[in-house]
Amino acid sequence: MTSPLFKTAARLIVPLTLLFAAYIALRGHNSPGGGFIGGLMVSVALILYRLAHGRHAILRLLPFHPRVLVALGLGIAYATALIPLLFGRPLLTSLVIDGFYIGLGQRVHFASALFFDVGVLLVVVGVTVGMIQRLSEEVDAQALRGRKTGASAALADESASSPAAAPAPAGGDFK
Amino acid sequence: MAPPGLLLLAVVAPALTGLATLFLPRVAVTPRVLLAAAGPAFAFVLVLSHLGAYGVAGHGEPDTHGARIHHTAASPTAAAEGLDAHHPAPVRLASPPAGTDSIAWVPDLDLNLAFLADGLGGFFALLVAGIGVLIVLYARGYFGGATDQARADLYRFYPTLGFFASAMLGVVLADYTLLTLVFWELTSISSFLLIGWNRYDKPALKLAKQAFFTTGLGGMFLLGGIGLLGHHTGHWRWSELLHHAAELDWAAGTLRCAFLLMFVGAASKSAQWPLHFWLPGAMAAPTPVSAYLHSATMVKAGVFLVGRMLPLFVLPGEGVGLTIWPGLITWLGAVTMLYGGVTAVNQHDLKRIFAYTTVSQLGLLMTMYGLAGFGFVYGGKAYAAAIDLDITQIANHAFYKAPLFITAGAIGHYLSRSLPDLHGAFYKFPAICATMLLAGYALAAGPGTVSFQAKELFLYAVYHAADGHPWLWIILAMTVATAACNVAIFVRLLTTLLGLPGSMGKGKADDGHQDHHADADDHHHAHEPEPGLGGALIWLPAVPLVALQYVGGLAPGVWDRLFGGFERFGYYFDHGVPSLLYALTHPGVPLYASGLAIVLGVLLGLSGLLRGQHTDVHDVIYPAVESGTVGLGRGLFELLQNGSLRVYLTVVLLTLTACLGVAAWQDPGMVAPVAAEAARAFELPLGAMVGALVVVTALLLPVFSSRIVRVLILGSCGFTVVAMYVVYRAPDLALTQLMVEIIGVLLFVLVLRLLPEPPASERGRPVGRVWRAAVGAAVGLALGWITLVCAHAEPAALLGEWFSQYSYHGPALYDAAGEKVGYARGGGGKNVVNVILVDFRGFDTLGEISVLGLAALGVWSMLPGRRRELSRDTATEATLS
Amino acid sequence: MTFVMAVCVAACVGVSVYLLLGRDLKGVAMGVFLLGHGANLSIMAMSGSPVLPHDKGLSPSNLKAAPVLGKHVPDPALAGMVDPLPQALVLTAIVIGFAVMGFLLTLLIITNRSTGTLVVDRLADEPVCTTRTDTRSEPFQPAGALS
Repeated sequence: MTSPLFKTAARLIVPLTLLFAAYIALRGHNSPGGGFIGGLMVSVALILYRLAHGRHAILRLLPFHPRVLVALGLGIAYATALIPLLFGRPLLTSLVIDGFYIGLGQRVHFASALFFDVGVLLVVVGVTVGMIQRLSEEVDAQALRGRKTGASAALADESASSPAAAPAPAGGDFK
Repeated sequence: MAPPGLLLLAVVAPALTGLATLFLPRVAVTPRVLLAAAGPAFAFVLVLSHLGAYGVAGHGEPDTHGARIHHTAASPTAAAEGLDAHHPAPVRLASPPAGTDSIAWVPDLDLNLAFLADGLGGFFALLVAGIGVLIVLYARGYFGGATDQARADLYRFYPTLGFFASAMLGVVLADYTLLTLVFWELTSISSFLLIGWNRYDKPALKLAKQAFFTTGLGGMFLLGGIGLLGHHTGHWRWSELLHHAAELDWAAGTLRCAFLLMFVGAASKSAQWPLHFWLPGAMAAPTPVSAYLHSATMVKAGVFLVGRMLPLFVLPGEGVGLTIWPGLITWLGAVTMLYGGVTAVNQHDLKRIFAYTTVSQLGLLMTMYGLAGFGFVYGGKAYAAAIDLDITQIANHAFYKAPLFITAGAIGHYLSRSLPDLHGAFYKFPAICATMLLAGYALAAGPGTVSFQAKELFLYAVYHAADGHPWLWIILAMTVATAACNVAIFVRLLTTLLGLPGSMGKGKADDGHQDHHADADDHHHAHEPEPGLGGALIWLPAVPLVALQYVGGLAPGVWDRLFGGFERFGYYFDHGVPSLLYALTHPGVPLYASGLAIVLGVLLGLSGLLRGQHTDVHDVIYPAVESGTVGLGRGLFELLQNGSLRVYLTVVLLTLTACLGVAAWQDPGMVAPVAAEAARAFELPLGAMVGALVVVTALLLPVFSSRIVRVLILGSCGFTVVAMYVVYRAPDLALTQLMVEIIGVLLFVLVLRLLPEPPASERGRPVGRVWRAAVGAAVGLALGWITLVCAHAEPAALLGEWFSQYSYHGPALYDAAGEKVGYARGGGGKNVVNVILVDFRGFDTLGEISVLGLAALGVWSMLPGRRRELSRDTATEATLS
Repeated sequence: MTFVMAVCVAACVGVSVYLLLGRDLKGVAMGVFLLGHGANLSIMAMSGSPVLPHDKGLSPSNLKAAPVLGKHVPDPALAGMVDPLPQALVLTAIVIGFAVMGFLLTLLIITNRSTGTLVVDRLADEPVCTTRTDTRSEPFQPAGALS
């Protein structure tokens, strides 16, 4: 799968996907989209990148544990939820500003629920990427060990419970 | 009304002093005994002073009322003069008694603290408290006081005994019916603790459990009866019920049912046949417990309850009352009486002998209350009920049975409790044996004891009632037989203890079966008599009770002065207990019957009949029921909780499907939508096609066994679902499901690489597959059906309407003039789904992302990181290559 | 259209029950996944048919609108728009279902490592292997040691 064609394509597709995901996430309040979809899309892009370029590439792109993303996302979401309490409003009250001047005579419609959505996005990215990463590491480690112990050990292992020796399904190599 | 304080204090006093003894040092034996005895003594005084102040009627007119009762009781001649021919024999208490004020406890449940110290309750309370004092003293003599073991026993015994005494006082004094039940159950619990006194004696614990479950189950019946009675009549106090007894609807089945339930409760507590088996079993308890529980108090609770119900169900007035009362209670009591009597003769263990005579006597008391349902005509006068002086009967039994148990324990303490071993014991322990023989004489209803007159009263009642109901002659015969058995027991006691010819004799081999009971208090055996007052306390408490027997027998005037005030019923013997002289100078069937019983009893006692040890066939009832119940439970458990997840799932799902089937069968509204919707199935061809794809991909899934094919099919099923969301106009859902499907398939592939392929032998068998397919089809159809029916319904209001209305702006607002001034507050977004997610139902989403985080944390913690290992390995690989 | 949806629900749930009753835990996991589809479709069906009721035409343009408001006036009535509430609920359900699936699959891996089997009936009698002789399972490490 790590064909040059795929790699090249991935190099083009991934940034575009990320951009589209950001677009989808930001406009989610007014048209189809939102934090969940945006987050899942970002995850798909990152996983695609990993498929194309391998484990180290994703580590370069995301040089921290995904739980940071989860923590950040939950923090933002809870902050958005709790801040209205400081102003005497109920939990999660949303602030809607209909015409927000951003200069040059342009106005945007803005709702504070956007922050909440961003928090959701970060959590979804963290959870998805984190799970997939951890599982594929497991597969890699297993493959590595299988290579190291060699065929004889793998045969001896087979009788018990050896996923290592089991023939790899046609799903393929995710490296 | 009287204030309840005195009686409340009386009820709790024994328990409080019992608990207080725990604070005394263990070596302080005498202060412990005194403190423990102070509780019941205090209760005795309190009840007495309450009665003195308010009288047994509780009306607060002590002078006139008390005078009237004492007048009738003290001077029989005056009462006899007052008995006119045309004046029907009066019930002693013309008006029903009044209870005390109540202290609110659970007013909503009609459960409050109020007490009723009428003749019955007041007398019982005095009996419980008075004998309680004697038992406290006796326990000191029985357990001893010198050894550590004895001190530990006393330390533990008195609080438990106090607990029991309080519970029993509560039963007899409670005015609220439910309060009676509360205390009733407390007596079950405390008696369980007392019967299973020896914690290391497994059979004793088993017997304690048997007693507890039998009486506890009876308590459940009582609860049902009380509930029905209260619900039916609207009265939850005995005193109110007695006041309104005449107004009850006697034809109602509810009332009859309530009575039957309550009677089952009473019969189980008072050991009526065939529920009597727990009482002899409870003889595993130490003797002070037997003497207290099984002579005077707990087993009398059932008799008390029947006595409490008697004026309610039978004697409210002329021509009304419960018709099933006499037939049921009389006959059941009579059977119990005869069975207990005959079985008692067949025992060797003293405690078992007296236990069965207790059963017999309880049967007699029940019969006595049962006979109250028969009116009779005698000497040209009509009498409403064949019952006289029930308190005398109850007192009589308590006053000879408690001494019998006390002395049996004493002799068992020093020698043995097995009658054949006691040959000539009189010469070793004259005081104990003399007391026992005197009490035994009362058991035999010998002339000179109040027991004789009590038996006469009973025989008169049977004789009078039998006048109109010839079947009751059988009961007369049964009574004679029972009395003969009692006489025989006395004769054998006498001959054995004195070593006379015809005794049970030494050398009769005990067969093993009942040895256990005789040796229940093994560690007390063969004690040397303790000198001084402490040692004498092992028999001394019996003396005052025996004395009362002879006082009643020889000087009925004194007896009447003592107990006449408590009597509630005096129809024939209105003037009080007849004297011995009266009984002997009025010969008739009752006197002949007594004489016959004595002759027969002496003959039986001297004969060789009924000398073996008889095993009560009813002893198997409880073990059979218990093992049956346990076996049933175990069988059900093994059937239902067999550890197979698949069975659980099948049961749950099939139950769900069956429920739906029943609903569809009962409700045509479940069927009609199917046809209506089926007609519109193809309104959207595209949708129908997508639906077909979903169905096909889903059904293909189990067909293939290769797991990678399965994962791919699962993925394609997900993509068809995406298409379905598109058809259903849900773009957000379609996008989300698409992404989830991509990542989900990836997840599956990764995980399956880490899991082994099962060996071919583990594949399901064809039979199992058919069964699974059938269950799957049933459940799938059921849920599809539910979906159809639910979706077909058209609710009056859709929540989604409100959401879409408030999604961007709220609705327009207008001022008074009709000018539009703005909008209500809205969510500020046009994508309603997203606004619902982040705004309207934002709290949901907040919880959801928390769950996401937790799931990820779970994955991370279950699979440790491999990053370091991998980087190290790849580094070495790189250098190698 | 509701009928079609009901049939889909029946198929998904039926097959998922078939898989759930199987002996293999992997099949059980797939069953859970499929059950999620069935449940989601069932909830979706509650929003009623997306076909405009008054129109007998069959072209897709006669479907109701997606729950996205038009430019100007919010349309409060749901006559022309599908009900947004089931969609919001299902969206939540999809994402949660995904996370739970990841958790469940990880559990499968752990189960396989500690018991050596994924056959449901065997799990009941299989003693959980506490001494980790398996080379692949290492002592528990704090997760997420950063590279």
